[in-house]
Formats: sequence, structure tokens, C-alpha cells
Amino acid sequence: MFKLNLKIALRNLWRYKTSSIINVIGLAIGLASFLLLMLYVSYEWSFDKQFKGSEHVYAVMTNFKDSNGNIQGTSDQTSNIISRVIKQEIPNIEAISLICNVGEALISNEENSFKKEAIFADPDMLKIYNYEFIEGNANTALNTPKSVVLTQSMAKLLFKDGDALNRSVLFNNKVDLKVTGIIKDLSDNSSNTFDFLMPWTLYEELFSWVKKPQWGNYNWKTLIRLDEKADVNLINSKLKDVIKRNDKGSENEVFIFKLSDRQLYGKFVNGKSVGGNIDRIYLFVGLAFGILLIACINFMNMATAKSERRAKEVGIKKTIGASRSSLISQFLIESLLLTFISVLFAVVLVEILLPTFNQLLNIKLSINYYNSSYWFGILGVILMTGLLSGSYPASYLSSFEPIQTLKRKVIRTNRIPVSLRQVLVICQFSFAIILIIGTLVIYRQIQFIKDRPVGYDINLLVEMQQEGELSRKFDVFKTELLKTGAVTAICQSSGTLSNVSSNFWGFIWPGMSEMDKDISFNQIATTYDFLETNGIELIAGRDFSKSFASDTAGLLLSTAAVKVMGLKDPVGTRVKYHGNDFTVVGVFKDFILGSPYFAEGPLVVAFNPDWRGNITMRLNPNNSLTKNIELITKITKEINPAYPVELNFVNDLYVKKLQRERVLGILSNLFGGLAIFISCLGLFGLTAYSADQRVKEFGVRRVLGASVVHIMKLLSVSFMKMILVAVIIGVPVAYYLMNIWLTNFEFRTDISLSVIVLAIVGTFLIALLTVSIQAYKAAKANPIDALKYE
Amino acid sequence: MIDLQGIEKFYLNKGGKNYVLRHVSASINAGEFVSIMGPSGAGKSTLLSIMGMLEEPTYGSYEFMGQDMFSLSERKRIEVYRNYIGFVFQAYHLIDEMTVKENIEASLIYKKVPSAERKSRVEDLLERFHIGAKRDFFPSQLSGGEQQLVGIARALAVRPSIILADEPTGNLQSAQSLQIMDLFKKLNEEEGITIIQVTHSGVNAAYGNRTLHLLDGVVDKEQFKKGC
Repeated sequence: MFKLNLKIALRNLWRYKTSSIINVIGLAIGLASFLLLMLYVSYEWSFDKQFKGSEHVYAVMTNFKDSNGNIQGTSDQTSNIISRVIKQEIPNIEAISLICNVGEALISNEENSFKKEAIFADPDMLKIYNYEFIEGNANTALNTPKSVVLTQSMAKLLFKDGDALNRSVLFNNKVDLKVTGIIKDLSDNSSNTFDFLMPWTLYEELFSWVKKPQWGNYNWKTLIRLDEKADVNLINSKLKDVIKRNDKGSENEVFIFKLSDRQLYGKFVNGKSVGGNIDRIYLFVGLAFGILLIACINFMNMATAKSERRAKEVGIKKTIGASRSSLISQFLIESLLLTFISVLFAVVLVEILLPTFNQLLNIKLSINYYNSSYWFGILGVILMTGLLSGSYPASYLSSFEPIQTLKRKVIRTNRIPVSLRQVLVICQFSFAIILIIGTLVIYRQIQFIKDRPVGYDINLLVEMQQEGELSRKFDVFKTELLKTGAVTAICQSSGTLSNVSSNFWGFIWPGMSEMDKDISFNQIATTYDFLETNGIELIAGRDFSKSFASDTAGLLLSTAAVKVMGLKDPVGTRVKYHGNDFTVVGVFKDFILGSPYFAEGPLVVAFNPDWRGNITMRLNPNNSLTKNIELITKITKEINPAYPVELNFVNDLYVKKLQRERVLGILSNLFGGLAIFISCLGLFGLTAYSADQRVKEFGVRRVLGASVVHIMKLLSVSFMKMILVAVIIGVPVAYYLMNIWLTNFEFRTDISLSVIVLAIVGTFLIALLTVSIQAYKAAKANPIDALKYE
Repeated sequence: MIDLQGIEKFYLNKGGKNYVLRHVSASINAGEFVSIMGPSGAGKSTLLSIMGMLEEPTYGSYEFMGQDMFSLSERKRIEVYRNYIGFVFQAYHLIDEMTVKENIEASLIYKKVPSAERKSRVEDLLERFHIGAKRDFFPSQLSGGEQQLVGIARALAVRPSIILADEPTGNLQSAQSLQIMDLFKKLNEEEGITIIQVTHSGVNAAYGNRTLHLLDGVVDKEQFKKGC
């Protein structure tokens, strides 16, 4: 029975090639989209859940409060002393580790040198993340200061011969370390990733000030692993006033938060988690199921549209004794078979598209074909899709009464299926139009943020880390570089414009009130040529200048800072900055510091030659880019030979800030387009059947003198009515949803009429084009062919 | 075997009743070969469909082998199709997606006849109707006469006690018609299968041993063949 049904299902697919192809293409694209989106969702979902016992790992978090007790922000930054206090006061702690994310640092041996991600952490770190050791001992690997744990790929890079354990490597060109462990590469979707891991004790040796308790310095992270009996609420209630008791005058509170929840629920308002990436996960899951549903609707519509052809078969089978359930199972087998074929195509499609998809989203998704859960997932998708798309046609087709079908009576006595088909088409196009409007709004919003004036000239601006000899020999470097003509201006600074790295409060100026002490200012320390190099517009006063010796105690204010401070005539104002006397020498126009999504906070740029870390260079526009880079690289190598030269273009860095929205834009573009394509495929199929059914009617009409246009109208109007209803439903929903989305942004565009009109016109045009192709074919057919046939 | 009492069938049409059958009563015994005749629109096919339970009358009662059919559930009715009734249609109504062999086998599958038994019955029928060579052909590859042979073979596969044939030769040329009618006669005489056929043709009707004449939904007259 099953075999015969399968055989017949195959023959049916072959016989109705057009509809099979439309179905397979639609379902394959739908399924491929579904799989891609689900891969992405599972990537986000399993963030920090990859390692053993991840559910017991917590991050120590801090709520930063002002003197009135209002929570101003929440982050996972902690002091270095908190771990010691937690270890003493809190029970149920299995492991606790301080972490210092160094960022890229130099690691080398005799043959090679690389800049790779580095971390300092306590030996307990190995127990928290349960790293899989390939070589070395997890219990002792970080016990001595001069040790380092490498990831497998790091070890392979450094030691081409493959043997890395107990060999020595050089950290930052000065510290000799012994490789005490090699661990499996870390998965991308995990926090605190590194290429090499060094012990905290080494960090303390290198920077002796770290040894002292620093209650007010929130420079590090702290992770803990709890045992199974631990009560998180109890721990949090004990931790609440830890800082208050120890750091006089600070109102900040400490609490612990599950590490694996940080990715999805990491957005805090007033110290409470209010979601985070989970919103995106919901969005993508919705998108995935939506597209799959559109493809399923195609199948349902095509299957029921074919009903007139299948009705006879149902009638005969019933008269020779088929029960309804056997017919239902036959139709379900057909839909499952079709889904199965489509899944094969979809898997191939995913495999082909994955690299591009990864590149677009800048992530590393991969399919683990040896993972049984992947195949179970696929099987589940086949069953779900097959049953979803097959159940309605199966129950509809199997309900036919034999006598009606055999006598070729009108089957459509039951009005519901027809209108249900219409409802399904309306659903499809409502979804499509929501996606079109969504895509347009997201695109406009990205454009809007992109078009915000940056406030400095990001073109031909490059950044470089100031490390090794570049720190001490900066002046030499500057002179040499200017001499080559590769750059027109160059400066050193504590932070770069593309990343806010530091802020402070307790700034003192004349005429301030007591409350103003809590105002937080961004700060950048620099020496000469800061404004010129970055191309920031000066409004009053001047930049730091060597001609004024007093400028070594000078600072520059942004217009936002001047406004916050309420200064009428800022230049020449004497202020106290970190307790020292400074004079305001200039005021510059606000620029986007850090994120383009938010309004500029007040910024203080102070003269301080000892606080540095970054070099910014303005390239000479008269030279070619390659020549400039060559010259910079040459000079840098001469002065700082131990480090590889890495230049970052500021405009690239700036574009990266739009990454999140860019991803959203790409995904909605891509999947919106696919959804529309699949919907149109379905519409194409439906029109084909509709034309097929009415071929005789059209023949008669043509003979009676109807024009081609008239017949095209007959066929198109009913479909266009459905699109109209879809528009009426889709537009308000899209408007509502996109307005909610836009409220996420401090700077936002509005949903203009033009967007909506464009979406509506676009949908109508696409739909009309789809329908017209079929309608034209039907109308142009020779009427005699249709009439003779009877 | 079949006992129809006071069968009426009408469709409501704009306030009026459109009668198809009026007060039709008939009783057919096992082993009979009955022809239903009449002009177009007389209600012949409707009467046959009612006998085959493909349609329900508006009023009236129907006993099949002593059982009231209109009180049966769909499941029971399917049981009756499977076990006692074979249908033969004017347009053959073979399943286009199935081969000759599969078409014949289909009803046996629904009847849950074991595979070996199915095979032997199908082989028997293929051989008996001389269509074995075309067992793997699809209906569209056969001539009308051949298709109808397959249709009859399919009806016979379940070993029915009655065959309901709606103008079985309506689409066939006369030579093929005669062949089919001979076959019916043989089945009736040699295997004792009750046959009820609807036909236009007096020649075909003459094969049976009794003829019901329908005119405008009423049994006009009943003829018995001499010697029966």
C-alpha cells in the first residue's frame, strides 16, 4: 500500500511538472531560508552554553549609581578586589577568576611573531570554562606566573613542527613564557575568547599597581562558578552592599548574572534585565516560520487548485472501496515526498549559500554533519512542513463525494475552500508587504544614521596602536613620518574617536552647583595636533600649541560640555581636572564619539603626554594610498621592529558600528525578497490553474468578440482584489511594528508616505506582472483549440 | 437481493421541485441480468447510483441483501462496496496514474487482501481478459475497449456478487460493445453474478433477461425476456 502510494505520488509529481517545479522551488527556498535563519538563531541561542556546566557560571555585575542612588548604568566591569571579598564572604563558590581582556598583544618565538587576542586570568578560569586540554594539565597550567596556555590554532601558528608544550614564547617582546597547556579552539559564540591565556600573577608582576585593592577602578571582569546547591537570590542579597561597606562614598551595587543569559538578556535598565538580543531571536524565528509558512501556503493552494483534476481519482478510489483515511495518508505521502525532495535541494542550497551568508553577517556559522541533532532537526522540519502543507489539501481532497466527482458536477458547491485559498493568498501577501515596508524602513534608518554628520573627517584617517617603542619614541616617529610626506598630521591620544574608552566625574569649574559633581564627562588625553589630525572644527580659542608653554595644563571642551557646564565665555576658564588646575584653551564642535546612534555626550580633551595608547594619522591626499601605507609601515618597522604593523582605517571602523543594523537590513532584504518571490511563484501557479479551468469560457468569449485586454482583466481582477486586501491588512501592521522598532533609536527617521506608497505600488506591480504573464497566455490562445477539445 | 421501495429524488430549484425519480419501486433477485433503459434525462443513471449508494434519494427505502442501506454509516457502506459491489462506468474511470495491473489490484489493496492472493487474482484476470501483455501500460495507452476490459477486471477482482454498469459500452464501437456484452452475459450465466446495466441500446438490453423502462423518472414498463 505504502509502496504503491509512493509510486503514484512520484508519478503525480512527474505528471504535473509545472506545479511540482513551482512547489519544489518554493519549498526549497523556504526551507533553505528556514535552515539558515535557524542556524543563526541556534548560534545566538547557544552563546556561552557550549562548555560543560555552563549553567552554573555567573558574571559579577555592577550597577553604577550616582549620589542620589539612581542607577546610571549596569555592566560586567568589576574592581580587582571584589573576587577576594566574594571568595571570603560567599559560600557555594566552586571557582572564581578575575579576567583582564588585553585585546591584541604580541606573541612571538624565534621564527614567528603575531598579534593575537590575549587574556590574563586566575587558574580558576580553567575550571569555569572547562576548556578541553589537548596537552598539559588543567590543574597546574596557570599556577606559575611565567606560563601561558595556547589554543590549538595559536600553537600551530607559532610552532610549525607541531610540538608546543613546554616550549617558550615571548610576550610583548619582553616576557619569556613557557607553554603549559594547549586547548581546543574556542567556539566563536562564547565570551572572553582568546588565542593565548596568561596567569593573573604575571599581570600583577608586570603592573605592580594591580596588586593593590582598587575599589574605585572598574577595569576588570570577574566570573564565578557556583556549585549546585547555590542560591543565587541569597548570594545577590549578600552582595548588594559589598561596595558600600568597603568603598566609602560609593553607592554602586554588585550582583551576579548568569553568563549564558548575557548574550540574550544583556540589556539592563535600572539594574534590571529587560531583554537584549532575544528580541532579535524572536524576530528571526518569526521570519523563519513566516517564510516557511508562505512556501507551505503555496503547496496548499496548488494542491487544492488541482482538486478538479484529482477529484476523479478520489471518486474512483472511493467507489472501489477506499476509506477516507487511506486517501488522507496517500495525499500526506505526496506532500511528505515533495517536502523531502525540497529539503534535499534546501540542504544543498544552504551549503552553497553559507559562506556568503557568513560573510554578509560577519559570523561563522557552520553545519556539523556528524551531529545527529542536525539530522533530527531536518527530519523534524520535513515532518512539520509536509504535514503542515499536506494536511489541508489531504482533508479537502479526500472529502469529495464520489458521485459528484464522477459526474463532473461542480465541486465548488462548498464555498469555503475557495475563500480559504483566497485567505491564504492574502496572508502571503500581507506578510510580503510587511517585509517590504520593514526592509524599506530599516534601509532608511541605516541611511539616516549613516548620513548623520560625523563631525570629523573620517576619510584618509588611520589609527594604529601605540605600543612598544612607539610610546617612548613618539616624537621621533612623528618627525620622521612628517618628513616622508606620507601624512599631513599626526597625534597621539589615550582613546580614539571611534571608541569611547574613558569617562570621569567630579570635574570642577566656576559657577557649578553641588549636583554637577555627578555629571559624567568623556575624556581623551592627547598632546599636539589633535584637532588638525582628526579634522575637528574649532569654534573658539585654539588647539594646543608649542608656542604656549602653559598649554601643558590646558584642555579643550566640546560644545556639549560647554552647554552642560553652563559657561558663557569658556576660553580662559580655569577648572580642576582630576584635582589639577587646567585652563580651557579652546572649544570644538561636537562630533560623534563612539556610537553614531546616540547624542554626543560632553567631552573633555586634556593635554597629557603620559597617557597615550593610540596614534592617529591623516594621510597625504596627494600620494597614492599604497605609497602612504608603505611609508608608514617602513618607518614604524624601523622604530618599533618587534611589532607587526596594523593600520585601521577610521571609515572602516565607523561602518562597523552600523553592523547590527546592517545585518538586520541584509536579512530583511534577503528574506523579504525571497518571501515575495515565493509568494509570486504561488500566484503564478494559481493563475495558471485558473486560466486552465476557464479555457473554454475564454474561448467562447473570444469567439463572441472579447478583446485580449478584456480577458486579461477577467483573470487578473480577482487576484488583484486579494492583493488589495493584503495591502489593507499589511500596511497598518507594518506601520505599527516599524514604529515600535524605530523607538529603539535616539536618532530616527520616520515612516514616510513615500515608503508606504513605494511598497504598495511595488507589490501591485510585481503581482500584476506575475498574473499578466498567465493571463496574456490564456487570452492569446486560439479559441478554436479550447472549443474543439470538448 | 435489491429491494427499492418508493424511491423519490428531486432537486429544489427556484421554489419548484425538479423530479429526477418518482415513486420508483423495483426488486432485483440474485443472478438476474437487468437492463435499465430510457431516453436521456429519464433518471436511469441516478437510479443506478442510488443502487450503488453513490447517491441518496430524497425519500424511499433501499434494502440490499436484506439490510437497510440508508441507515448505514460511511464505514459500513464502504464495507459493502468492497465486498459485494463492482462498478463499471461509461468513461471507464481508470486511475490515470496507475498501470493496468495496479488499477486492477487497487481495490484488493483497499480490501486488505494479502499480497500473494492479490497477485494471483490479478494474474488470473489479466490472463482471462487477454490483457496480460499490457499489464504495465497506463490507461492513456490503451484503446477504449481495452480500458473497459480493465474496468471490468477491476470490478471483478473483489469477486462481487453484483456489478453495476453505467452505459458500459457507451463510448465503444459496436464490435467492442458486443465483446463486452458477451462477457457480461457469460459472467451472469457461468458465475451467477447479478448484473444491472444502464443502456440506451436495445441490442445491449436484449442481453439481459429483464428490462426496466424509465420515462421522466417513472418506471414506464417492465419487460421479461421470454423463457425466464
